[in-house]
Amino acid sequence: MSRYLAQLGAVVRKDLTLELRTRERLAAMGAFAVLAGILFGYALDPTLVRPSDVASGFIWLTIVFGGLLGVGRTFALEEEERAIQGVLLSPIPRDALYLAKVVSNFVIVGLTVILVLLVFALFFGLELRGNPTLLVGVVGLGTLGFVATSTLFAGISNRTRMGDTLLPILVFPLLVPVVIYGASATSRVFAGRPPSEVTGSLRMLAAFAIVALGVGASLFRFVVEE
Amino acid sequence: MAGDRKLRWTGTGLGILGVAGMVLLMWQVAFWVPTEATMGVVQRIFYVHVPAAWVGCMAFGIVALTSAVYLWLRDERLDMAAQAAAEGGMVFTTVMITSGPLWARVAWGTWWTWEPRLTLTLLLWFIYLGYFMVRASTENPERGKRFAAIVGIIGAFNIPLIHLSVVWFRSLHPQPVVVKPEGPTLHPAMLQTLMTGLVSFTLLFFAGFLLRYALEHSIRGEVPTAAPSRAHAYGRPDTMEGVS
Repeated sequence: MSRYLAQLGAVVRKDLTLELRTRERLAAMGAFAVLAGILFGYALDPTLVRPSDVASGFIWLTIVFGGLLGVGRTFALEEEERAIQGVLLSPIPRDALYLAKVVSNFVIVGLTVILVLLVFALFFGLELRGNPTLLVGVVGLGTLGFVATSTLFAGISNRTRMGDTLLPILVFPLLVPVVIYGASATSRVFAGRPPSEVTGSLRMLAAFAIVALGVGASLFRFVVEE
Repeated sequence: MAGDRKLRWTGTGLGILGVAGMVLLMWQVAFWVPTEATMGVVQRIFYVHVPAAWVGCMAFGIVALTSAVYLWLRDERLDMAAQAAAEGGMVFTTVMITSGPLWARVAWGTWWTWEPRLTLTLLLWFIYLGYFMVRASTENPERGKRFAAIVGIIGAFNIPLIHLSVVWFRSLHPQPVVVKPEGPTLHPAMLQTLMTGLVSFTLLFFAGFLLRYALEHSIRGEVPTAAPSRAHAYGRPDTMEGVS
């Protein structure tokens, strides 16, 4: 078990070090988040709708669209120089490799999500009236489900001719629960509704994340085999 | 190939039976079955919509099952079966999601509504659209089969959700009238018409399935199932293939 965790940790450390040095994905996703916030802001007519009412939906769309930018590149570097062969030759179990990729993506996307929340709070005049811990729970579980699903499919789309073009087509249908429950819970937390109105969505997000992680971990070896 | 010819004959036979069943169904729907009391004539779409839904879900169930076993045994035939079933599933799911709105326009007063069962079904359609796109967009056919199998398995998680969505969520979609704990609650003539629909749609599906399978089999030819020799057949000695 500790060996498993050590191997998992090694891949996470490698990915995060690489990201820390290049800051490629973080920069792309961060810029996307701010620009999407601006575009969404202009897409609304503030005399017809109050921006703060629709902000939660836009927050989740930005997380999903922007997140895919980064997650889509999960295996890009390794695929380029066939470095993936090296990773696969190491004695790390395939599911540990998948979980490591999920963890490092979760950290990277998680940082972006914080930025997204700040951007929308600023541009859309959002005020947090509810419990901050609850918000962390909603956003954390939603992001985990998102990352668990899209990491598996990033492995697939990366090895097809269509590349990242294919990724949204494969992942969006599966991400609908994350957007539905994430957006409704987020808007309720921001509006300061009682926690009992959010627990149902939290449970759904948790269930989704667990199923996605389980399915991803068991099917990932078929993605990278050969 | 003798096996292919047998498949084609069986498929054609099932197809003739299925078409005959369809003719009977149309007669029953148009002239025989009583009109439903609250919804009126438009309820007759039910006899097409429900069989199409049943066959669509069954087809994608077959896709998931054969895909899972394919990943395990790597038998080419399982992949061909999954592909044939997926194409059939697409056809019948399309029938389901086009006949639904026609009914809903009259019964609910709207073509489309954001309701769990409708949404999940539409998503099912798109997941299996991705199934074909993944299959088509890999240079190494073995890889395409594997990826398609993964998508096929994951897509099937949707099917039980679709079935249970009307029970779990308080939904607009009519509740089940046949498959439920206390048995069917449907006028006998309606149940009989529905059964004609279910049987003839199922026959048509398997007819198409067998014909498609035989076609795919003759396209792929008698290639041994083991992956390396297959790679040679494509003129790519053992490759990890394409830097994309």
